[in-house]
Amino acid sequence: MKSELLTGSRTRILAGAILAIAAVFVVRLFYLQIVQHGHYVELAQTEQVKRERLPATRGEIYALNGDSPVKVVLNETVYTVFVDPVVILESGEANAIATVMKEVAGGNLRDKFEDKLVVKDSRYQIIATRVTRTQAEKIKAKKLSGIGFQAVSQRVYPEGQLASQVLGFVNAEGVGNYGLEGYMNDELSGVDGRLETVTDVSDVPLTIGDRNIRVAAKDGKNIVMTIDRTIQSRVEQALADGVKRSNATNASVIVMDPNSGHVMAMANAPTYSPAEYYNVSDGAVFNNGTISAPYEPGSDVKTYTMATAIDKGVAKATDTYNNTDHIKIADRTISNSTLGHTGVISFQTALTWSLNTGFVTLAQRLGNGTEITKTARDTMYEYFHDRLGLGQLTGIELANEQKGIVISPDEADGNAVRYSNMAFGQGLDATMVQVATGFSAIINGGNFYKPTVINGYVDGEGAYQKLADPQPQKQGVIKATTSEAIKEMTHIARSSFNGIDKAGYYVGGKTGTSQVIKDGVYSEDETIATYLGYGGSDIDHPEYVIMVSIHGDHRILGGSTDAMPIFTDISNWMLDYLKIQPKG
Amino acid sequence: MSQTTNYYVSRRQQNWSRNQNTTRFQSAVKLGPVAHTVLVALMIIVLGLIYVTQATRTTGYDYEAQKIDSQIAAYNQQKGELEVENARLTALETVKNSSVAKAMTTPSNTQYVQE
Repeated sequence: MKSELLTGSRTRILAGAILAIAAVFVVRLFYLQIVQHGHYVELAQTEQVKRERLPATRGEIYALNGDSPVKVVLNETVYTVFVDPVVILESGEANAIATVMKEVAGGNLRDKFEDKLVVKDSRYQIIATRVTRTQAEKIKAKKLSGIGFQAVSQRVYPEGQLASQVLGFVNAEGVGNYGLEGYMNDELSGVDGRLETVTDVSDVPLTIGDRNIRVAAKDGKNIVMTIDRTIQSRVEQALADGVKRSNATNASVIVMDPNSGHVMAMANAPTYSPAEYYNVSDGAVFNNGTISAPYEPGSDVKTYTMATAIDKGVAKATDTYNNTDHIKIADRTISNSTLGHTGVISFQTALTWSLNTGFVTLAQRLGNGTEITKTARDTMYEYFHDRLGLGQLTGIELANEQKGIVISPDEADGNAVRYSNMAFGQGLDATMVQVATGFSAIINGGNFYKPTVINGYVDGEGAYQKLADPQPQKQGVIKATTSEAIKEMTHIARSSFNGIDKAGYYVGGKTGTSQVIKDGVYSEDETIATYLGYGGSDIDHPEYVIMVSIHGDHRILGGSTDAMPIFTDISNWMLDYLKIQPKG
Repeated sequence: MSQTTNYYVSRRQQNWSRNQNTTRFQSAVKLGPVAHTVLVALMIIVLGLIYVTQATRTTGYDYEAQKIDSQIAAYNQQKGELEVENARLTALETVKNSSVAKAMTTPSNTQYVQE
């Protein structure tokens, strides 16, 4: 017998109802699983898959200690301690937390941190920062409720303030500012990695699933600077002594190897502690005066004018001119700072006594002999700007380098009056690093090296990879014979100050005292004193170039009285430190 | 009652060589459809268990790996702290203030060997 549901029977109605309900389920499931498939897969992944940034370790910075690199900027993991006041209220451990924190992390606590433990309607309050791992372990051992730790990487400076304006600092967002940190930020930062993985409730990554992604972080480069920490330390000491002696407000020194462009030391006063950059009230202290403060370099540039004249064959050290202490250019009269050496004198005498008239005369001789013609101005511009790099960025690997300016003779302002001023170092703006770099080329035989603070890198295994010896950017910027002549002239000029150098060495230099422009006019009560020189065993082997600049608000400082003693202090010490054998 | 049907199969098809024993074993135990279903279900369960065991084992390795990663991170952190301490102890200021450095004197005269 064939069983059938009878039409209109209750069983048939029930079957229909079940079928209808099943149909609803089917339609709903179809909608959820087929139509909305992508959406729900995405939701599930959001829930199950954890995406993490694998932070790259910031590269460390080394200085040289002789020939070996030593770390001067390192990374250290510290902790920010935070609390959940709601949990603390429930556990009633506010007093216990306060006691432990005072015992373990007294110096790292935020002001009125006890109040933060009982803040209402808050789940996150920071109570201490920069807590070390050891301190954090001690706090964790107390097993207190409602307290958490967030690891933060911070820069550590074991040498304190040493070379702070060269190094720069890393701000709270992990970005390098100023100095090497600022310029090389991308290389030092590295590239963060990425982890996308299914995790369990404790956030432990699991290997299940086929969409796990792990891209390893690429750590930042470890940079070895050309800065020698012993020289840097000694230079900073000499600078501090000089500032105190002259009652100055700010001063800078750069020490370079003229045969490679390597910067051995670069110091500024006042300075700051990069570990506590956030406590600095005057942001100007972050600037590195040797690269960021173009100024009128003054008489140091007379070595440039002399080199140009000798190189072009229009003068020699022994050639003479008639010094009347004044010289007229167009409607202006230019005078010497030191008066009385009048009559027919040599250009050597003009350099030794830093007589402006001698160098204006040289500028005229670069023209037709009586005027600073366009040809003379073109020649000076070619040597000062194109060959020796004044008014051009040097490309040193430090942030905020300023260009300065050398007015071209093609511009309306590039007239004879300006170029007569340029002949003795006024009327142009240049940075100390530009002046020292150009001077290095003048005394090394005519090879122009790009100044650099990078000597190499330390790889992940800790091996020091020294960069190849630098090659000159430009060769033959002046003739070798011109170079010899300038070295001899500056040596004679320096020798007029008897007994200041160690016996048996060949040291030369030139003083500079430049006026400061204030409110568009040259100030009568303020100068910048400078000294630019070199030293070595003999005339053929200059081992270092040192440039000093010192300045005080409303103070007349002199190149020979205020800047030169700093040079002498450093130079005599350098001869010993570099183990240079006397030959004289 | 069982029934046996005999089919002729050539030696070539049997892969049997001449003079080999040509006796074939035939079990007397016969499985019905229910037993087959149970066996298949059991096999699926066993395979499932093997899969679960392996998956759990892999997850177990994940926890081990996580533990080792944490240890490596902790050791690296300790190494970093020691490096920082080493750098502080060998910093110029520390060296300058050491008793050894303080006991040093400046030479009154320096002699050079001629090259």
